[in-house]
Amino acid sequence: MNLASGFRKAGSLFVIILTIYACSKKDGTSKQEEEKPGVDRKALLTYLADDLIIPSYTNFKTSFGQLLAKSDAFTTSPTLSSLTELREAWVNAYISWQKIELIDVGPAQEQNIRSFFNIYPTNVSNIQSGIASGNTDFNLPATYAQQGFPAIDFLLNGLAGTDPEILTFYTNAPDAVKRIAYLKKITEQMNTVFTKVYDPWVTGTYRETFTSRTGTDASSSLAILVNGYVLNYERYIRSGKFGIPSGAMMNGVVAAEKVEALYKKNISLTLAKTAFQASIDFFNGKSVKNGTEGLSFKSYLDAVDAKDSQTGVKLSKTIADQFAATNVKLDLLSENLNEEVKNNNQKMIDVYTEMQKSVRMLKVDMTSAMSIVITYTDNDGD
Amino acid sequence: MTVTKRTSIAPLAVYRIAIGLMLFLSIVRFWAKGWISQLYIVPHYFFPFYGFEFVKPLGIYTYGIFALCAIAALLVAIGLFYRVASVVLFLSFTYIELMDKSTYLNHYYFMSLVLFMLLFLPAHRYFSVDAWRNKKLLADQVPRWNLDMLKLLLVILYFYAGLAKINSDWLGHALPLKIWLPARNDLPLIGWLFNYQATAFVFSWFGCIYDLSIGFLLWNKRTRPFAYLAVIVFHGMTAVLFPIGMFPYVMMVASLIFFSAAFHLRIIGFLNRFFKCPDTFIRPKRPYTYSNGVQKVLLTGFSFFFLVQLLLPFRYWLYPGELFWTEQGFRFSWRVMLIEKAGYAQFTVKEANGKAIVADNSKFLTVLQEKMMSTQPDMILQYAHLLRDHYAKHGFRSPEVYVEDYVVLNGRRGRMFIDLHTDLAKEQESFKAKSWILPLNDEIKGF
Repeated sequence: MNLASGFRKAGSLFVIILTIYACSKKDGTSKQEEEKPGVDRKALLTYLADDLIIPSYTNFKTSFGQLLAKSDAFTTSPTLSSLTELREAWVNAYISWQKIELIDVGPAQEQNIRSFFNIYPTNVSNIQSGIASGNTDFNLPATYAQQGFPAIDFLLNGLAGTDPEILTFYTNAPDAVKRIAYLKKITEQMNTVFTKVYDPWVTGTYRETFTSRTGTDASSSLAILVNGYVLNYERYIRSGKFGIPSGAMMNGVVAAEKVEALYKKNISLTLAKTAFQASIDFFNGKSVKNGTEGLSFKSYLDAVDAKDSQTGVKLSKTIADQFAATNVKLDLLSENLNEEVKNNNQKMIDVYTEMQKSVRMLKVDMTSAMSIVITYTDNDGD
Repeated sequence: MTVTKRTSIAPLAVYRIAIGLMLFLSIVRFWAKGWISQLYIVPHYFFPFYGFEFVKPLGIYTYGIFALCAIAALLVAIGLFYRVASVVLFLSFTYIELMDKSTYLNHYYFMSLVLFMLLFLPAHRYFSVDAWRNKKLLADQVPRWNLDMLKLLLVILYFYAGLAKINSDWLGHALPLKIWLPARNDLPLIGWLFNYQATAFVFSWFGCIYDLSIGFLLWNKRTRPFAYLAVIVFHGMTAVLFPIGMFPYVMMVASLIFFSAAFHLRIIGFLNRFFKCPDTFIRPKRPYTYSNGVQKVLLTGFSFFFLVQLLLPFRYWLYPGELFWTEQGFRFSWRVMLIEKAGYAQFTVKEANGKAIVADNSKFLTVLQEKMMSTQPDMILQYAHLLRDHYAKHGFRSPEVYVEDYVVLNGRRGRMFIDLHTDLAKEQESFKAKSWILPLNDEIKGF
């Protein structure tokens, strides 16, 4: 009796609370429209998709299309001028690639696009044997280091010292036809993979999927995007472009030949700066369409009031300051990073050291403030 | 003496059935999610507990341990071969829990304690297959302390969880809820609430008061129905908000122990509609009594058990530094959902002559293990020793191991966690304070 009436009382109390809650919700919604407190991940994802990710892919598609066209022209009729034009298109596409490499979510992650586009140092002996055999299966992980931009770098810039000499490898050499076939095969493979990444965003349904997974769990768009972004910054910008060649990662084992675009020589800093700037712009939500800043990791951190509880300094400012400090060090380098490693390695190490500081902030402070979960298992927060 | 007071056995039998089924479901869920393989077979290395280094996954046979545990859980639930099944269940479940620290959860520990207590309780003497097969076992009255012990454990769990929340981060800054709640603002109906910091404060304070008081409110007959409603709402809320698995449901079920004999008899009556056992089986009117000697031994043993339970959470007083930061004395203390902590640990393995390498953690650890390791000093040390032994085999002569570990705690800016110049290869695990943990340089006031 007592128990039952207790439950009844509790039940009616529950109904009252629900009613109060339901009424207050209406107020809350209208209030929300006025001042929009907090974070709106749906809006953030939508903005990032429409103003950064898709336009970046579209820009890359254009420059990569040029590369394909010039590659066709060169492989059809290898001349000094078609070589020069192909090389130019390759440089442009390689620079443009630096702006999409950081997008490692959805189809890019599924297709593992980086592995087909930018694994360096390229494996010259595998390229040579691949040219000879003509039957390399480019889908095998073992072949990642003999395709993509770095392999083209070797094929266009690394075969000989001068352009006329390089050209003979495609005209008079006994295996010229095979070499041309290999070059074509690389660009075809890149095109196949990129199409599988581009189409789901633009003509397929991935944009919808991306913007609808609004949680912060391990399968949410934001979690995957942030993890991919940080991984790219840590492993492919900090380590790949600076840490490994300079030996900062290996305590002094210098590997100057491990720089990006080793054979082209004079674009490695441009590539690195482009990738670094792309990371900054993505952090700031700088629209690729119109250059203005919108919703972003930065605005998200500000909206959740991420700041050091001891000093009150905003986390977004701390990160921005660190980016700026890195830029100062980057500006001290000259274009050929291979030469810089050999002659000015301390400046390379300095860049690595500055980047390392921002890696920590992005990987630990930022993801913690965003409360992004990286594992699927149970956790009781201890 | 109160120890001779008797009470209905029905709550104990219902508890046995509920806990058995809960555990069975937990294991089925764990298995179905592929976690056995993901957590205990795929990883190359595991983090055993200090003193329990012999407890390791058994490769593919690890499935066998889980199967054994699941079967034992079912047997306990139906009360068949209870004496053996309860021992197997306690041992297999605890073995699983001890295999890897990375998966430590307070409610697994709670389960182990409950299973330990059930070893000594006559939970199979009523509404069980054992009692059906052997009517001599049948009893419907037990000493009251049987039930009181189970309740006491819950009271301790809740109260200590509440005490742990009395600190300046939790009450003063609504941390870490202030960080966690906005991340769930896309939930239907209630999500919008989490855009307001006030919500985090309300939740923090309510959670603290709830934990401190709920055990007593459940024990008191008059407040019990409301208290149980609060249990449902509170744990229902945590289930929606956080990835804490079965914990909320375990607590909802375990809290039923506080209800009266009449309530539990009604549950038994309901269940009996399916089994249609005769009234003599449901109401045998026979008390269960321990022999004087056994009762004395058990009561002494359990007094000691509870003394340990009361003291263990305060062992952190023996260590210097901020508990949430050093985590020395953090586990086994009902500190749940208290800290948002993340770290980034880079280990360098060196030879005296300068040869060095930065270890790639992903080669040795899973994502979960790396995440857990990077913020917990004892795991950092274990991993450092793993690296030392690995590189000693791979061409490093007496390798030294150093770590650069950057850790954030409850929204403070990240800072170095471990002394950069300590060669962890030479440090030994012990219960002594770890001098190589750097200070937080901030004070979190309270428990």
